[in-house]
Amino acid sequence: MSHSHHTPTVKMGLPIPNSKLGMWLFLGTEIMFFTAFIGSYIVLYFGSPGWPTDTHVTHINVIAGGINTFVLICSSYAVVVAHEAMGQRNFKRAWAWLAGTFVLACVFLGIKGLEYKGKFDHDILPGHIAETDQQAIDKVVNEMNLALDDWLNELIPGEEPPHAKRIALIEEIESDETDESRKETLKDFRRLDRQFNQLRDEVVDNKLTLPQVTHRLEDLRHIAYIETISGKVMVGVFDDGTLGAHGHEEEDHGEAHSETHAPGAGDTDPDRPQLAEGQVAIRTDGEWTTLPADQVTTKYFLYQDVLSSVHHPQPILYGNIFASTYFLMTGFHAIHVLVGMILFGLVLMQGPRLNEQWTDWVENSGLYWHFVDLVWIFLFPLLYIIPGI
Amino acid sequence: MAYEETSSEHAEHGHAHPNYLGVFLALCVCTVLSLVFDILPWSRATVAVLVLSIAVAKAQFVMRYFMHLKFEGRWKYVLLLPTSILACGLPLALAPDIGLHYYTVDVPQVEHSGELAEPIEVPEGTDAGEGGAH
Repeated sequence: MSHSHHTPTVKMGLPIPNSKLGMWLFLGTEIMFFTAFIGSYIVLYFGSPGWPTDTHVTHINVIAGGINTFVLICSSYAVVVAHEAMGQRNFKRAWAWLAGTFVLACVFLGIKGLEYKGKFDHDILPGHIAETDQQAIDKVVNEMNLALDDWLNELIPGEEPPHAKRIALIEEIESDETDESRKETLKDFRRLDRQFNQLRDEVVDNKLTLPQVTHRLEDLRHIAYIETISGKVMVGVFDDGTLGAHGHEEEDHGEAHSETHAPGAGDTDPDRPQLAEGQVAIRTDGEWTTLPADQVTTKYFLYQDVLSSVHHPQPILYGNIFASTYFLMTGFHAIHVLVGMILFGLVLMQGPRLNEQWTDWVENSGLYWHFVDLVWIFLFPLLYIIPGI
Repeated sequence: MAYEETSSEHAEHGHAHPNYLGVFLALCVCTVLSLVFDILPWSRATVAVLVLSIAVAKAQFVMRYFMHLKFEGRWKYVLLLPTSILACGLPLALAPDIGLHYYTVDVPQVEHSGELAEPIEVPEGTDAGEGGAH
């Protein structure tokens, strides 16, 4: 009756270490996590006709993405070699290859950081992007308002409301006790403030189109103080050949507007002279004066710094959902890179004490790292190559 | 029986020594090919299919050799297939309404896409809009 001698010895569970099983289970959840993001991105991309694809508009850098792909592939190779070295009990070699992986992860994040800086500089951020002309105009007005408020707070510190500060500013200009250089600065503020108020009133009255606002903004950025060889001082819109360059860029790259905005449609100043090489021009009291560039001895743009926080108006259809999906996918990927660096950092901290007890750790961290590489392998064509074709 | 099978597979795994350098070089070649396809004057659909195929090939290299799935036992299917199937749930749920709709998308940014903010001629002497932004 006894069956005991026929019963084989059965070991329960999978023939892999528990830690490795745990890592694979975790990676299973990670597959669902990233597939949800990537799959939703694909669905949104194809479901939104007009999705931003021009890399000049989205500031996607294919070369940077390609270099980062190469960097991650190199790091994946370094990890497998490190794991192999751990298996061979060559811990010094394993440490060196893991150090290489860590450095490559730093390079990846550095390049990613530069890409993010480009996005922040151009305000390609979720919820910040104008998607229509009217939104772009409103954004210019809001940003100029903030820039002027910041400058006013710098000139007249304190807790008073802006209108009280403006009154104090005028009083200071009219006071005999104010020194001349301070007076000039305050007058510069007042000049820009007046120009802004005029612009805002015209926007509120719906009198301006986006190209007109763009050119008005460009004019304000080009208001300069110049002195000539003959000692003549002039303050006005200065054209050294760069005035209007931004507007033409928009005509070249603005997908949503290339058909509807005729070139020069927003040029509010048809009298602007065509400059020959070596010539500059300045507009004072509505009149353009052309002069040789070498006649100008002193030149500085009065409002370029103040208006640097005002972005070039560029409506991007579906720009906000694009930015949301871009930052969601690349941001979570970057967080995973950081976590991987912590995992490898803990091994590297062992230094010469690294031993076979860390073999499973290196294997599991390696599996995690390869998964991070795997995600990037799909993000690269989907975010960088296909939209730009 | 099942245990013996997986055990032998695991033993095989223990002796697996893929040519990591060869896999690495294949991945590099694939990446370069992706960049080359990006600059070729082929149709959008052709390039999209090619670069995605290359991505799948690269993923295969990484999973099979770097992650050793080629040498792992059948448990990999039990563990990874359900999650891979479930992962498709959200995109599939979104696709009919967001990606495959037959109707025109009715969202404000599309309604006003490419539309100029037309100027309005305000008659002299009126103060239309005055104070609206203050």
